[in-house]
Amino acid sequence: MRDLERELRELSSAIMVPPTPDLAGAAHIRLGATRPAASWPRRPVVLALVVAIVLVAGLAVSPARTAILRFFGIGAVQIEFVDRLPAVEPSVPLALGNKIDPSKAPFPILRSDLLGDPDAVYARGEVVTLLYGSPDRVRLLVTEIGHSVLAPELAKKIVAATTNTRFVDIPGSTGPGIWIEGAPHIVVLADAPPRLVGNTLVWVQEGRTLRIEGAAELDDALRIAKSMR
Amino acid sequence: MHQGIAFRTAYLVTGSAEDAEEAVTSGFLKAYRAIGRFRRGKPFRPWLLAIVMNEARNRRRSSARREHLALRAAEERRPGDAAPSPEAAILEDERRRALLDAVGRLPEEQRLAVVCRFFLDLGEAETADVLGVRKGTVKSRLSRGLERIRKELPDDA
Repeated sequence: MRDLERELRELSSAIMVPPTPDLAGAAHIRLGATRPAASWPRRPVVLALVVAIVLVAGLAVSPARTAILRFFGIGAVQIEFVDRLPAVEPSVPLALGNKIDPSKAPFPILRSDLLGDPDAVYARGEVVTLLYGSPDRVRLLVTEIGHSVLAPELAKKIVAATTNTRFVDIPGSTGPGIWIEGAPHIVVLADAPPRLVGNTLVWVQEGRTLRIEGAAELDDALRIAKSMR
Repeated sequence: MHQGIAFRTAYLVTGSAEDAEEAVTSGFLKAYRAIGRFRRGKPFRPWLLAIVMNEARNRRRSSARREHLALRAAEERRPGDAAPSPEAAILEDERRRALLDAVGRLPEEQRLAVVCRFFLDLGEAETADVLGVRKGTVKSRLSRGLERIRKELPDDA
């Protein structure tokens, strides 16, 4: 009697399956290119798809090889989920870069109608930070990165798997944003040293990746996000 | 990569590259939107494949045409192996074709169990997660499916 189960397993490799289409690559190219105005309504879908695919691709990373359980991207920011946060210096001074005149930022920055002018603006490479408060007493930081293509060398977050994260809809944003709250997580911006931060909202708007650090509640962060223009 | 197995899953269900691509795309999008419902600590792959499988089933149901899976050319399947005689190769191909057709004629529940276990090489637990049923149900569907195939395909076919 033939071993039907073995036959079926062998049959599996004989079935002609077309090569997997390069969905992520195609979407990345589309996202990176300047798109004609007529096609802009498709962008949120494309971005969400890129994020989803990056997420899914990230989950393929074997936990046996690395402590990263999964990672995905929201715009330029790569968000890595790990078993345990690596140790960082508890009191790393803010290293936001050089204080600049906002009009000299490497790209036109968005501002918050709600918050008004920041107390200072800093740039570190392509990462611009609007500081509310003072470097010693930070009330709020709004970080802007001038593009929305994943760039872990510019912006990376390392989040313990147990930290609360949720996707949120932000009017005016391209695709959903992410809210990270609860236990502090690590942020690495450009070549600044890693530092521990609290609740943060990250989203993509008008081709920029934005993040708000220091809002106590999601509602506050959302109100600020909605006011950015 | 999940993308690869997701596409293979969708293709084995729909038999169409176009439908499979659409199923994967919309499945990934749904998975992304529903990521909040994904339970931490549970394996991600079956959760994602279940969503893609569902999309693929819907596309197969709504498609007027029934696409049939094709076999690769015999020479592609045996790189480096000694080639069988032409007669043996023909018989082998006939048997495989008949087997594939028999799988295609199974009731959907049994067919999907066979696809998961033998064509995607998923374990019983993972198959159960993908199909949203208990492991015992997977076993009984497989057993009934295999029985049906055996009846259709005599050993010497």
